[in-house]
Amino acid sequence: MSQLTLTLKSAPRTRIDLSGLAPAIAGGASASALALLTIAPSTRLGDLFAISGTADGDITLSGTTSRVDGIGAGLASGTWTVEGDTGANAGLNMRGGKLVIKGNAGPYLASGMKAGMIHVTGDAGDFAGGVASGKRFGMTGGSVIIDGNAGTRIGNKMRRGLILVRGRVGEAAGSRMVGGTIVAEGGFGAHAGQLMRRGTLIGPNVEQMSATFADCGLHELVILSIMSRVWKHELGPLAPKPFPAKVRRYAGDLASIGKGEILLTA
Amino acid sequence: MKSSLINGVTIDDTFAEAFGMSGTGLIITADTPKWAMICATTMTGFGTSVIGCGAECGIDRVLSPDETPDGRPGVRVLMFGFSPDALIPQVANRVGQCVLTSPGSACYAAVEGPIPIPLGTALRQFGDGWQTSRRAGGRRYWRVPVMDGEFVCEDKTGCITTAVGGGNLLLLGTDRRGTLEVAEAAIEAIAKVPDCITPFPGGIVRSGSKVGSKYPGMFASANDAFAPTLKGATKTELNADTVCVLEIVIDGLTSADVANAMRAGLAAIIANGAVKGVTRVSAGNYGGKLGQHHYHLRELV
Repeated sequence: MSQLTLTLKSAPRTRIDLSGLAPAIAGGASASALALLTIAPSTRLGDLFAISGTADGDITLSGTTSRVDGIGAGLASGTWTVEGDTGANAGLNMRGGKLVIKGNAGPYLASGMKAGMIHVTGDAGDFAGGVASGKRFGMTGGSVIIDGNAGTRIGNKMRRGLILVRGRVGEAAGSRMVGGTIVAEGGFGAHAGQLMRRGTLIGPNVEQMSATFADCGLHELVILSIMSRVWKHELGPLAPKPFPAKVRRYAGDLASIGKGEILLTA
Repeated sequence: MKSSLINGVTIDDTFAEAFGMSGTGLIITADTPKWAMICATTMTGFGTSVIGCGAECGIDRVLSPDETPDGRPGVRVLMFGFSPDALIPQVANRVGQCVLTSPGSACYAAVEGPIPIPLGTALRQFGDGWQTSRRAGGRRYWRVPVMDGEFVCEDKTGCITTAVGGGNLLLLGTDRRGTLEVAEAAIEAIAKVPDCITPFPGGIVRSGSKVGSKYPGMFASANDAFAPTLKGATKTELNADTVCVLEIVIDGLTSADVANAMRAGLAAIIANGAVKGVTRVSAGNYGGKLGQHHYHLRELV
């Protein structure tokens, strides 16, 4: 059984929304039925993509660009590999499975994600793991690993799960966060954790620490050892780099309830 | 009573009678093996018998750093009680008074079971609002601020109702010191068996009891049939030359664990019992009508 491969025939001139694709596949649609899937007025999937193979769970999308939105939205199982960039809302409301983006991801990556894993080999846009308009929370579980840099306000109203950015993170990461962890191995931009209630930001530095984060000193934290071991077990080589024995803890945002923290590793 | 003589030690043709119990367990970690053991020893203290202690508690084994959730040295303790409801306050009190208080300690679930026993669920309130929780790997951990940093405590541990309490061996000897040494060797052998504990002091009981008493309100009293100083005065179970009887009581998470522990203990007694004056091994039972589990000594040698 060969896996399903969707190859974009030519770069789209308008935005296209693939958020119906994962539910259609989960509903047991065959490759020929998928070709008839309506993805925009008067536009079917088969008009834009060359489709081959059988829908057995694992999928490869190739040739995608930053105009292709909603890739992997609602994904519950199986592995999707994207060879190309993605537009907005990749991995939106994901409930399981694995989404590998071999390129850059647009804004609102992993928004509303509940479980599963997303690995982006390039950069991610603004609001990764952030709350979508009209929703209560951003990410509520799962892991997002971004090998490159990430935009502003990632993890906005995030509740649970892990966002790991190997590079640098833009301004106000973890704004209004209520739980979960953001690791920025290349450091955070200004105003990290703005109005965060709970949750943990971990990185070597913050470009400009908000005045409402209070230095609580250098500490050995048992919980970091637990998290590290769990991540190593769940993510293997993709897990965050080991943390130093002692980290500097800033409590905040004290302009909110102040039960969150920024842990500086350098 | 038929009996068999093995390596100079008589094995009575009798059985140990044990009871169904509820069992739970914790992993306790600390910065060093020494402090993990101090904490585990303290929290399992005064946990010899459900009759008067509320729970039977003991150390199952020492854990290496790669066996613990936080990568630090640890100790696994087991606790047994009449029911999950009886264990809940025991876990809360012991963890609250002996683990939370111990320098550098942390505390995690060590038994997977259908019934949850609150751990951090209750203790987190020590944080007075500063406590925070984290989920990792499908488990929930509480971080409670304390004076040497943070006390990390898993939210719940598990409890099983198919545990067994009261597996036992009776060592009958002609020399008190020698009998104690043989009992110690048996305890060392049993300690290597996983998922079981010997809750009495050093694993050994010298006051084995019979059910009931001449006095009202006493549930258990002197086992006069096994008391050497009474052997001329009562209907004794002892040989003429017996001067000392020591009992080993075993609780295990499963019946097989108790049987394995008794087997290991018996082997150690038979191996070096005769030269130290242990002449006989027996077991305690109530005629087989009270306990669901029977362990026949002859099937274990």
